[in-house]
Amino acid sequence: MGVEPRLIDTDVHNSMADPKELLPFLPKVWHQQWLEGGVGTEGAKTFTSIGLYRKDADPAEGVKPASDPHFLLEHHIKNNQIDYAILTGTPVMNAISLVYDPDYGSVLARALNDWTVEHWLKVSPHYKGSIHVNVSDPEAAVKEINRMASHPDMVQIIMSSASRLPLGQRFYHPIYEAAERNGLPVAIHPGNEGLGPTPPPTPAGYPTRFMEWENILPLNFMGQVNSLVCEGVFEKFPHLKFVAVEGGISWLPHLMWRMDKNYKALRDTVPWLKRLPSEYIKDHIYLTTQPIEEPADPQHLVQIFQMCGAENMVMFSSDYPHYDNDNPKLTLAAFPKEMKEKIFAKNAVKLYGLDKKVKDVERV
Amino acid sequence: MKKTKIKTSEGAKRMGEEPRLIDTDVHNSLNDPKELLPFLPKVWHQQYIESGFEIGGKPFSSVGLVRKDAIPPNGGRPASDPEFLIKHHIDPYNIDYAILTGTPYMNAISLMYDPDYGNALAIAINDWMVEKWLKVDPRYKGSIHVNFSDPVAAVKEIDRMASHPNMVQVIMCSAARLPFGQRYYHSIYEAAERNGLPVAVHPGAEGLGPTHAPTPAGYPTRFMEWENILPLNFMGHINSLVCEGVFEKFPNLKFVAIEGGISWLPHLMWRMDKNYKALRDTVPWLKKLPSQYIKEHVYLTTQPIEEPSDPKHLVQIFEMTGAEDIVMFSSDYAHWDNDNPKMALAPFPRKMKEKIAAKNAMQLYRLYEKVPEGGGVL
Amino acid sequence: MKKYEVANIKEIHNKKPKIVEVKGIEIGIYLVDGEYYAWRNYCPHAAAPVCQGVVCGTRLPSMVYNYEYGRDQEILRCPWHGWEFDLKTGQHLVDPNVRLRNFPIEQDGEKLYVFLNR
Repeated sequence: MGVEPRLIDTDVHNSMADPKELLPFLPKVWHQQWLEGGVGTEGAKTFTSIGLYRKDADPAEGVKPASDPHFLLEHHIKNNQIDYAILTGTPVMNAISLVYDPDYGSVLARALNDWTVEHWLKVSPHYKGSIHVNVSDPEAAVKEINRMASHPDMVQIIMSSASRLPLGQRFYHPIYEAAERNGLPVAIHPGNEGLGPTPPPTPAGYPTRFMEWENILPLNFMGQVNSLVCEGVFEKFPHLKFVAVEGGISWLPHLMWRMDKNYKALRDTVPWLKRLPSEYIKDHIYLTTQPIEEPADPQHLVQIFQMCGAENMVMFSSDYPHYDNDNPKLTLAAFPKEMKEKIFAKNAVKLYGLDKKVKDVERV
Repeated sequence: MKKTKIKTSEGAKRMGEEPRLIDTDVHNSLNDPKELLPFLPKVWHQQYIESGFEIGGKPFSSVGLVRKDAIPPNGGRPASDPEFLIKHHIDPYNIDYAILTGTPYMNAISLMYDPDYGNALAIAINDWMVEKWLKVDPRYKGSIHVNFSDPVAAVKEIDRMASHPNMVQVIMCSAARLPFGQRYYHSIYEAAERNGLPVAVHPGAEGLGPTHAPTPAGYPTRFMEWENILPLNFMGHINSLVCEGVFEKFPNLKFVAIEGGISWLPHLMWRMDKNYKALRDTVPWLKKLPSQYIKEHVYLTTQPIEEPSDPKHLVQIFEMTGAEDIVMFSSDYAHWDNDNPKMALAPFPRKMKEKIAAKNAMQLYRLYEKVPEGGGVL
Repeated sequence: MKKYEVANIKEIHNKKPKIVEVKGIEIGIYLVDGEYYAWRNYCPHAAAPVCQGVVCGTRLPSMVYNYEYGRDQEILRCPWHGWEFDLKTGQHLVDPNVRLRNFPIEQDGEKLYVFLNR
């Protein structure tokens, strides 16, 4: 039987040491664009004085953090006794849905998925992969989901949280249909808010500096969750699960209460909703911990979790090797044991079906 | 920076009773658009009559935007008759002062494509406010409308109106082309601070006119989705105001976020503080935790009060953030989603309730005494 | 229970209730589908005068992006927040624990009576 996993890290940013790593998986016709332009959505992101990466995570002098699967295994997985790491690629990879040319975005999706399998999933059973899709071409995204879903170590679909349209809208529904049919959650990851062809990162406009930009990223998640619920995505796709990676947590009470209050008045405008909006959130949305909110009194965060049932929706994530990564040994220290167990593993075990430890899987 | 405190000497002179209930968001409106014509230069009459405050449509609401029971006996628009508003709202709830905020359309004059038209409207609305409303009852306190798309004109208008004893704040729409912390607006804050007036913002025009999508994800489809998500804009503005150092540059400035929600405070404060601990050097003008600036400079209003199934949860949110010192009661009369003062404040313990119902607004707007029976300056 | 005369049936029309005051309690008298109902003019949510709201139908629960109008003239919509109440049961359409207060009503010839505990 064995015991269940104790620690699942739901956001690990495996990256490429060299862009050339992707070439074997990319049709020749796109090589020039990839080598000269990359994903091409980076744009003018606000500058950060710290940089985006931990300074202690380089596998070797001058080698990019999290680009060496063997080093990552030692440095992060083994050191922290992580049972499974959900690989999410880099935020730049997640941005393939935002490139102006959807055909380029779609070939990048395929190449990234093949690269994830070859370079990472084959290295260790601790690694679980995310299927990159280009949502700006839903038909191609569906095809890619169908192509990759049968891979036993691909556990979810991933896309950028920055989008041109709110993610509840019908344009995206074929993707959700394919995800649901294949039993895969859909995850979104931030980092491209306001870049490429997306709206400004706040309804007030563009933040000036990195801190202001970073402070306010969760707005986009609130907008997306609101759209998904109001558009009835979870009525249309009752088995679909949605993972809001790295989008904050403590806004849940506010959003839930506001949505519920408005629903009581405006139910007739969304007649497909049969329950309170907060109930759809509780049943269908998962969130990840990092960057965990750190109130002066840690009990306040526990209270927030209690108010909104977050203990059943939140999963631990380190965000390794980004500068703002969370240490599993310190995160949630103030939380009661039962809550902690759910957040560190049980919720992810349930969502991703990872109910056995690696050694027990291997024995079978 | 301290909260405005009542000085003892000042306090000793005061004989009257302290207000018990101040309503910080009452939407006095025009009954007929023509009411504004006497205050508007002739050259703008055609544009005003034919286009009014038009800045485009928002998602449709089946409930409508105003209370169906608030129509005055003369059949006019709700909240367009100052005498009826007293009878229908101020007297029955024992409201000591009502801060008149105009309508969301008036607030949105900053979004007119032509800033000269916006400026003319600001002046006209302010003169109308004084003549038609502030002269009727001393319990009415006014908000100075400004057009922020022309900061020079806005400053002039603040200076023109600030000396009116019953004008208690500057008001503008929360929807904007640029985040409110940015230097574009600083001269407006300088004028507000110099005149001792808080700056209030009110929602309703998010995504309209030349503003951005109401969410970073794009445009909501239906009214409920749009209404659910309005607070994002407030969070964006407050983040900008703090990070840009507005409250370091204008240490006596107070900012009132009307009708933008409350329970997002813990999240925003904690996230800003956490990031500040890492990135202080990128905002070297900040000397305190971002949450501290919010607590000292930003006021919020209650309506639409969040209604968790367990009302204790809302009290916990207030306790976590010190919201009891920065939140002020508002009814939003005569809008569809207005709150009843008797019910909205029910979940709060007595001391908190007193602060929210009157004390916070009393200090912010310096309304230390009730209007004496039959008295007051008009 | 005491019986109070409140209206003549000629005064009550579909869509338009008669609001009466009995012993300090405001009551809306409604005609729905041929039956008379008496509801307290007080919304359990925020104490609004609920009987001043419109009588209408609603969009019935449906599949995503389907729209079906129904229950015409059976729904009372609060004039403040737009909460919808079923005029036959008094129930809020979202939260079954929220309902309007009902008074027994009786028709005798052309006259309508409500019963109150005071």
